[in-house]
Amino acid sequence: MKLETRTLVLIAAAIVINVVVGQLAVWVKLPLYVDAIGTVLVAILAGPWAGAITGILTNLIWGLISDPVAAAFFPVSLVIGLVAGFLARLGWFRSIGMTVAAGVVIGILSTIVAVPIIVYMFGGVTGAGTDFATAYLLAVGQELINSVAVANLGTNLVDKIVTCVIAWIIVKRLPQRFSSGFAFFGYSKAQ
Amino acid sequence: MAVARRAAPGHALLYVPGDGFLYRLNPLTKLTLVLWVAVAAFMLPTAGTWAIALFAFVTGVLAGAGKVFARRLLFTLAPLAVALFVVHGLLVDHGGRETWGPLDISHDGLAYMVRIIGRIAALLSGSLVFVTTTHPARLLKALDSHGFSPGLAYVIASPLLLLEPFSARARAIREAQAARGLDLDGNIPARLRAFPALLMPLVTLALADIDHRAQVLDGRGFRACPRRTVLDAPADSDGQKWFRRLLIATIPLVIAGRLLWL
Repeated sequence: MKLETRTLVLIAAAIVINVVVGQLAVWVKLPLYVDAIGTVLVAILAGPWAGAITGILTNLIWGLISDPVAAAFFPVSLVIGLVAGFLARLGWFRSIGMTVAAGVVIGILSTIVAVPIIVYMFGGVTGAGTDFATAYLLAVGQELINSVAVANLGTNLVDKIVTCVIAWIIVKRLPQRFSSGFAFFGYSKAQ
Repeated sequence: MAVARRAAPGHALLYVPGDGFLYRLNPLTKLTLVLWVAVAAFMLPTAGTWAIALFAFVTGVLAGAGKVFARRLLFTLAPLAVALFVVHGLLVDHGGRETWGPLDISHDGLAYMVRIIGRIAALLSGSLVFVTTTHPARLLKALDSHGFSPGLAYVIASPLLLLEPFSARARAIREAQAARGLDLDGNIPARLRAFPALLMPLVTLALADIDHRAQVLDGRGFRACPRRTVLDAPADSDGQKWFRRLLIATIPLVIAGRLLWL
């Protein structure tokens, strides 16, 4: 698989968008990650494999320059890019309603991938706010893996819906001379 | 030389400029070591992971990156330790319980907590040795000189080079919008409303010149040949090549040792 130069440049820009927008969310103190907007953007414009590459490289580069723990979650980003691309191929990013549904699917699947990493690598905790929910669910009698799954599913669903909607708004506002260069984007155009 | 420039305040990189033994090692040798540590962190018993973490920490301090190590380890491990203590020491039913004042603590849960922290400390310290002593530009030169494709080198190099100016641009946008009255410290709805005002200019900026950059790259024929020649490639030696091979060869042994004897 050889990607076009334009797609390579888009992937590089999307990695920067992921990292810097993740930083913006910290500045604004949002209780969300919103660090996969670039990945979903690439998936809609250039397809699942380009989206998956963007996701993997975002976490590995993030791990390389500032937060080595982020690298451990690269499979989650891979799934986000891959699933967003396949859903885009099926036309799920044609309308805002379908985009929200795509966010739900991506949120569920990314949680399924993230939970084993959190449980087996980090003992079920992440050092973030979701640990309070995990502890609460454990205290009321849930198993560890169920508690981690439920605690992270809530955050992930909201996060991925917001991510998909923002990416959808961005691609809809792109000038046609820009988006027409990405043939895959045809699957996400309203009919 | 840009690579040796001292990091500005708020710099996104964890790299600490220096010229010691670790800095002179080929980045691929250090990357192979990180891979070995990542496997060992999961395969070795608790004492082994703590030994790796301690060794990596001392190495980092001797390399002059003690402050970065201490800060990063503290900020990562402290919240995890608190959460692990509550979850495994108090809540998960690990057995071996004992009452300490008002707390009913599990010995086995605490042992599990120490094991997980040791594993993360080994992973974190091992990767910090690499990150603090290897500038991304040197890693890219090492990749190029070992025959990695120009396309792969570009998608790694370009974000690394763009991150600094974009982080600076994001800070400028934040200050400009705050000067216009944007509320970044209000309640959650106010902050949610503020987010697009920061996000949209930044994304527009990142996407604006993609066509131009692609045309410039194609014009220079950067993928015309499968390999690029590096003028000042990081030094490599037969000793380092054999050391890398040895590390890779011992990975299955570490895994087998765990499966057979532990």
